[in-house]
Amino acid sequence: MFRPFADWLANTPLSKILQDQSWVVPTSQSIHILAVSIVFGSACMLNLRLLGVGHSGRSVSQLSNTLVPWMWRGLAVLLFTGFIQTVAEPVRQFVTPMFWTKMMLIIVVATMTVLYAKAVRRNAPVWDAASSRPARAKVFAILSTLLWLAIIVCGRFIAYTWSFYA
Amino acid sequence: MSIAALLAAIQSWPISAAIRGETSGTEWLFPIIETLHVMSLTLVVGSIAMVDLRLLSLASRDSSISRLSDEVLPWTWTAWCAAAVFGTLMFMSKADTYAGNLQFRLKFLCMGLAALNMLIFRFGAYRQVARWDSGETPVSAKVAGALSLLLWIAVVFFGRWVGFTT
Repeated sequence: MFRPFADWLANTPLSKILQDQSWVVPTSQSIHILAVSIVFGSACMLNLRLLGVGHSGRSVSQLSNTLVPWMWRGLAVLLFTGFIQTVAEPVRQFVTPMFWTKMMLIIVVATMTVLYAKAVRRNAPVWDAASSRPARAKVFAILSTLLWLAIIVCGRFIAYTWSFYA
Repeated sequence: MSIAALLAAIQSWPISAAIRGETSGTEWLFPIIETLHVMSLTLVVGSIAMVDLRLLSLASRDSSISRLSDEVLPWTWTAWCAAAVFGTLMFMSKADTYAGNLQFRLKFLCMGLAALNMLIFRFGAYRQVARWDSGETPVSAKVAGALSLLLWIAVVFFGRWVGFTT
């Protein structure tokens, strides 16, 4: 049902401009991967800390205050480069369920992260001490890591699945 | 044995043919390995960027350099080893194509330069880290951080470009 919209988008002047410049999509994808590095790297550092794995240098709230803002910056870059790639190649994106699954997972993980950051901001000392940290901290850490991994899988597999549906 | 013969031999190994999908009966090995490579490399770049941004005094200023390094760099090395394993598997599937690819060569040149930059920093400015561990970093540390950031950005760009030129 998104196919007519994709075909229309592919014929818009903006899409035509992006399609004509062969460097646009690879450049956008490279920046996209750099932004994934920031977001996924930050998420993993934070989640490992919440799970108590590895060297524990900074407190949970200290780490969250540094990393969560970087995750939002990275996500903004991801949305922008993702938008460019979608306008340049709308059919490739819209026909495969990988794209829609990825979008839904991003909404879920972003919502979870907002709620997590709010909870830590509201009650930092409780989250900083391992003894008083809510049990849902570990649930969040595991779920968020799995979601980001699934998002990366879906993202890369758009390239390998879209031709089946087009 | 000449390099061309070596590359041809690598490419003819059963595992290389399997990754190409010739003997394994599935086309999915390469995309799966590539996805694992992306997961690992984003952790390499994301974690190195944390240290580089700290050296540039642009992030994590609440943490000393040595504490941040202890916290982050073990993950960098673990992820780098994973990225190298998956990267080697991809290389084996089309060894002569990759070996002759300009972007592939530039990627490895940049990684070599990043390694050199790291060694110069580690055995140079970092030996006096106690003097500036928690405060403003000296110019030599800032240069090392900036170079590392730029070189790894170049590695990601050239790496992504390999996919469009092979």
